[in-house]
Amino acid sequence: MYDLSSVLDFEELRDVQPGSSILLSGPAMSGKQRLAYDILTNGARDGEGAVVVSTNDSARNIAQVFQDEVPELSDSQLGVVDCRGEGGVEADALDGTFVHQVSSPGDLTGIGIGITKAIEGLHTAGRTRGRLALVSLSTMLTYTDKKTVFKFCHVLSSRLDTADYIGVFTIDSGAHDSQTLQVIKQAFDGLIEVREAEAGGREARVLGLASEPTAWKRL
Amino acid sequence: MSDVDPPVVLIVEDEPDVAETYKLWLQDDYEVRMAKNGEEGLEMLDESVDVVLLDRMMPGLSGDEVLESIGERSLGCRVAMVTAVEPDFDILEMGFDAYLSKPIRSQQLHDTVSNLLERSEYDSMLQEYYALVEKQATLEATKSSAELAESDEYDALTDDIAEMRDGLSETLGGIEDDSDFIATLRGLSTDEE
Repeated sequence: MYDLSSVLDFEELRDVQPGSSILLSGPAMSGKQRLAYDILTNGARDGEGAVVVSTNDSARNIAQVFQDEVPELSDSQLGVVDCRGEGGVEADALDGTFVHQVSSPGDLTGIGIGITKAIEGLHTAGRTRGRLALVSLSTMLTYTDKKTVFKFCHVLSSRLDTADYIGVFTIDSGAHDSQTLQVIKQAFDGLIEVREAEAGGREARVLGLASEPTAWKRL
Repeated sequence: MSDVDPPVVLIVEDEPDVAETYKLWLQDDYEVRMAKNGEEGLEMLDESVDVVLLDRMMPGLSGDEVLESIGERSLGCRVAMVTAVEPDFDILEMGFDAYLSKPIRSQQLHDTVSNLLERSEYDSMLQEYYALVEKQATLEATKSSAELAESDEYDALTDDIAEMRDGLSETLGGIEDDSDFIATLRGLSTDEE
């Protein structure tokens, strides 16, 4: 089981089944990416593997975040699949982080190969548990259609299930029509919704992991 | 399943003895066709072929070249490449769905063919599942929750989706190893072309 409740204090997130995929949905600038990274760094602190599939953040930035958050991070703990399509200059410059470059956020096969290699690599290094974050599905949706992204998420969930990993996928709720969001949600086991609270700050709720949605709770 | 035609396997292999052996192993369960080289293989390839067993080292058109042509024709078939050398991790980046290292045993051949057929089934189930999910999303986006609660159609749809979901995750896990995963993703990308 994976315990995400130290990042988001919900009972429903205390025992998340290996193989689960969770969609993290919220408006732009609501800190979804940070939450996704927090979920991974929390696991890394316990020795778990971490794989980040990024469409907008560089491998260098991601490695920096992980090194800052997890001082004891070891060489065999972090893999980054960089889908920004900006070439491989950085790959050599990063010690201890596995980096795989993909030509574009629409290259699903390339992303899959990167994820496979990262998980394989972490596994070989003895990391039998791990968490994967994909940031963000919204960018992928600008490169391909919702049908393809839906299927991709479904297939990737199967792969995470085989690996006993959990997956966290972010989506910008304001960037897509309600039908698209409704379709994409169906590919996931659970949903964490983030929104701006009326009194300022942010609040979140969890859907799908229990029979009823939770109440909104301040972050 | 007895009233449907058996799946079609096309063997592309230049050594007659080897081809004949594969045929003997498979013919009870499948309709087997044989091509003695790459050119003939491409000629015999049509919509009815489900699985191609493709020898990599052949005189004339090589297995790699045949594979490329198959990819360009975007047929629904799955290709298992038969190689004399144990492939490395880089095989994931090549466009085939499975590989077999010579010499091949009967059980191994059967497993590979049935696995590829199962994956085709997974793909079509996923396609069907998506169609239902999209329909549901359209209803949810256009109807109020009161209207949905009263709709028998919505009810039936929700049941179908739940059933399909179980079918996808249980009977056909589909993704058993890395090459399954990559080949399935490769299939998704070509769907949209």
